[in-house]
Amino acid sequence: METIRLPIRRLALWGLAAAFAVAAAFALPAPARAEYGDVVINNHSDAAGVRPVVFPHWFHRVRFRCKVCHSDLGFKFQAGGNDINMVKIIDGQFCGACHNGSVAWSVENCDLCHSGKPGTATQVHESTISKLVGSAPAPKAAAAPAPAKP
Amino acid sequence: MERLLPMSALAVLLAVAPVAQAQDKGAGKAVYDKTCALCHGPGLAGAPKFGNKADWAPRLKAGTAKLHASALKGTANGMPAKGGNLSLSDAEVKAAVDYLVAAAGGAKAESAAGPAKAAKADAKAVPKADAKAEPAAKPASADAGKGAYEKTCALCHGPGIAGAPKYASKADWGPRVKGGAAKLYASALKGTANGMPAKGGNPALADAEVRAAVDYMLAAVGEAKTAASPPPVASVAPAAATPKTAPAPAAPATPAQAAPAPTRVASAAPVAVPPPAGDPNAFNRLLAAPGKRNAPPAEDGIHDPANAGTHSLQPPQAAFAGMPSLGAGNRVNWVSSLDGGRIKPRWDRDDGTAAAVVMDLNIVREVKGSMPDVVYPHKQHTEWLDCSNCHPAIFIPQKGANQISMASIMLGQKCGVCHGKVAFPVSECRLCHSKKKDGAVPPTVAGTKP
Repeated sequence: METIRLPIRRLALWGLAAAFAVAAAFALPAPARAEYGDVVINNHSDAAGVRPVVFPHWFHRVRFRCKVCHSDLGFKFQAGGNDINMVKIIDGQFCGACHNGSVAWSVENCDLCHSGKPGTATQVHESTISKLVGSAPAPKAAAAPAPAKP
Repeated sequence: MERLLPMSALAVLLAVAPVAQAQDKGAGKAVYDKTCALCHGPGLAGAPKFGNKADWAPRLKAGTAKLHASALKGTANGMPAKGGNLSLSDAEVKAAVDYLVAAAGGAKAESAAGPAKAAKADAKAVPKADAKAEPAAKPASADAGKGAYEKTCALCHGPGIAGAPKYASKADWGPRVKGGAAKLYASALKGTANGMPAKGGNPALADAEVRAAVDYMLAAVGEAKTAASPPPVASVAPAAATPKTAPAPAAPATPAQAAPAPTRVASAAPVAVPPPAGDPNAFNRLLAAPGKRNAPPAEDGIHDPANAGTHSLQPPQAAFAGMPSLGAGNRVNWVSSLDGGRIKPRWDRDDGTAAAVVMDLNIVREVKGSMPDVVYPHKQHTEWLDCSNCHPAIFIPQKGANQISMASIMLGQKCGVCHGKVAFPVSECRLCHSKKKDGAVPPTVAGTKP
């Protein structure tokens, strides 16, 4: 090690340059994206001064069939279309049906749900419609990307 | 661009330099600071973030030996061999891994690797000398902008990582340029909530150098430097003047906390992206590289990395390991995963033993043109859904009563209520259009396709 000390610095630079080029190659096409199907819900969050909610569909899908939420619990198939608020949740509706400390962790873990970047619009992330029409990322440009029927 | 890379690497060294002080902790730390911190510090490019237990936990399970091997040989996820620094000895790389593992709560104690001492000395010596020398370098000339850019800004603005507008990319810079140069100066000097650190994370830069670097980047996107001398307002611009970005509670990020990509219009519509300034013939330049799929929450572009809870969330890759894959969506074949028992989602909220009420009935829809007819399998749908989810609101339960077109699906109606949002998207034509016009359903299709 000691004997090749001088070239090390230059080699290190080139090595880092290579690493950098690799990183660049990975980073070129598009910025990293959230998971397909992740839902951002920002009906009230920005106005209330908390981060918007990010609902990871994939995580819940591993654990429950669609029907549990979309039929038994009454979630409509529309991002932002359920008018969820914290009162409903603590009363056991919507998310609160499970996030009650018994089926899943309880509401005191605010930042596990309210984890989105402030200003992110309500959307189904990576959805076909948001790719075609645009997901309106500007704060409160609330063109909900899902004109779908419930 | 290629010519700038070595300089960018120098910038990397400088950027991580502040961390490289007080280092009696050992050789591993020195190597980490010098090489690994570039990515593992902020958790860039899918790298598990330093000290983040959620990132590291799945990896620690594989054992330290495996981590050593990954670090030495590189991985398909984007980790370059020896972190891209081939001048490191194997012992140094292992020491750095042990250091990262220890920081993530792993058991392996630091090995006191002797040979790394030299590297440690370098890591100390190089950045300090340079950091002192540079600020003195000719301020406010055109060269100063280029110099500052190469030294500091190119780390992120070169490749456009962490949400930074890419050097010479008009699409990235267009919306920012509209805000005026003064605003950009202010953002560069004070940092932004989107992850731009104040002065690009290099406080050693003089204000004039930062402005010169901004001018240099603006010039690259064809914005003639309108005001050669920066407006005085820039130097005193309050934080409130940061451009139109979100009102984030995030503290101004240090380089190690740089936030990943903010959501941008461009990212939502790949069709609109002009050719990048780098290699115009880059392979699949509009697609997310395999290593960038299923990014952990802190890097996924919609979670706020400044939020503590974000780092407690499960990274998708940890959950998807071993699940059958699909060519689109989140790359998981959910139907096969369920059929094969890789996942056991509950049918009932409370009762883990309740069985699904499955109906096995295929509906064939004849379609226009040469496309194969659609076979709709009730079976795979009722594994997940209740009848009332689709009937009667979305589909009238009567043959011939439902008008369905690909256009309406892509706009989120009919099948598109789920397909293209959470279920596989329309790119997977053959999963639905599976029945040849001339008759028989291909054997692979009938019962088992998603």
